[in-house]
Amino acid sequence: MKQLSNRTVVFYVLAAVCIVLLVLSSSGRLAPVEGVFTTVARPFLVAFNGLGRQINNVFTTARDLATLRSRNQQLQAQVDTLIIDNLRLKEVGSENERLRELLRFRQLNPTYDFRGGQVIARVISGGTSNYLATIAIDLGAEHGIQAGMPVVTERGLVGRIYKVGPSTSTVLLITDPSSGVQALVKRNRAVGVVTGQAGAQPVMDFVPQDADISVGDEIITSGLGGNFPKNLVIGQVVSVHQRDYEMFQQATIRPTVNFDRLEFVLVITNFQPLPGQPAEPESVG
Amino acid sequence: MPERTGPSATGIKRNLSNLSLTLTVVALAVLLQATLLTRVRVLGVSPDLLLVAVVAWSLLHGATEGLIWGFIGGLGLDLVAGMPLGTSSLALMAICFLAGLGTNSVFAGNLLLPIFLAGLATPVHGWIILLSAQLRGLRVDWIASTVRVIGPGILLNAALMVLVYPALRGLATRVGAQQMEW
Repeated sequence: MKQLSNRTVVFYVLAAVCIVLLVLSSSGRLAPVEGVFTTVARPFLVAFNGLGRQINNVFTTARDLATLRSRNQQLQAQVDTLIIDNLRLKEVGSENERLRELLRFRQLNPTYDFRGGQVIARVISGGTSNYLATIAIDLGAEHGIQAGMPVVTERGLVGRIYKVGPSTSTVLLITDPSSGVQALVKRNRAVGVVTGQAGAQPVMDFVPQDADISVGDEIITSGLGGNFPKNLVIGQVVSVHQRDYEMFQQATIRPTVNFDRLEFVLVITNFQPLPGQPAEPESVG
Repeated sequence: MPERTGPSATGIKRNLSNLSLTLTVVALAVLLQATLLTRVRVLGVSPDLLLVAVVAWSLLHGATEGLIWGFIGGLGLDLVAGMPLGTSSLALMAICFLAGLGTNSVFAGNLLLPIFLAGLATPVHGWIILLSAQLRGLRVDWIASTVRVIGPGILLNAALMVLVYPALRGLATRVGAQQMEW
């Protein structure tokens, strides 16, 4: 009985602390404390993320080795040695390739100022917490990053900065259910709003019934609402849902960005969201 | 009447040792969760190592220690994930009570109990986080989240418990477990 009452007391005390923290954190008053923690945790996150990449590579290599063994049994020992070197070179090569693509994107969009950042942690829906689709990057207020700045890769729109620490930031991905992006169909300029879906691909909602939208259409940002610049690629329509009794039609979008394989992103630093845009994820629909 | 004395030096040393162990294991779990486990995706979701660890430790060392693991781990996860502080802690602490019920169960010696509790804790944990998001004014699709995220999460977390429980059981044996026979 005594143990039960101790447990209950501990629970009430800790729960009260949690609620106080929740209120203070939601209002942004704990931002300095959170900033200190993220600064301390950053090297560990970077190290573990690198380890994850290496483990991933090891599994890939293991699969390659199985094939090589069957083909080149007599060269197995040599292959084992070469594979290790090859692995390191592949990693450098693919990193180089990604950076080149990012550079090309910068050159194609000379009006924007960019800051390149590396993904150091990810909380993707169906990921760490399963309830929030975000990634953490190694850029923060010290690098001129501010809440609301759009984040892109050479493939298209990733999301926007919604929390900034001194040396790290959190990016709310466009796949998060609380994310809303004003968008249009590139072919005929039909407008809508792209919102994330829990555990599913994002949808473009609020598309007028008379708009012509079909599978394969490319969806880009419209710039309306002032949250994102115009003409950033979002994705491609994979299915259209039209019902006569509804005011709008919906289209399921396959984002051009592969959110599972993000390693480097660009933050557009000279785009200022319109005043009054919420720092926290907004509610859409 | 025996004279009442404070905690002995050995007791204080043991408590400090347990606290440092807790911090180390929980910090490791948070880092693993945020970096490595996000690469393991089955049916679109990742297993929740911290949830499984908190349930397992609550069974092995009592719900009170589970509460502390849940509180500290939840804060770490919120800081890494960018969620408001306290969200994950509240959800993880709530599931300690579920695990606490299992401690006194007649099935306490069976491995199936932690597996069952991991499955049971997953929706409770998920719904608390969703509720917290809704109270903060965010749009929450309860049905889609339950079907597409929590549902597969139940299976994954139950499967992860098969690995985590024996590992933590070994750790619990080192620090002196409350009950561990199964």
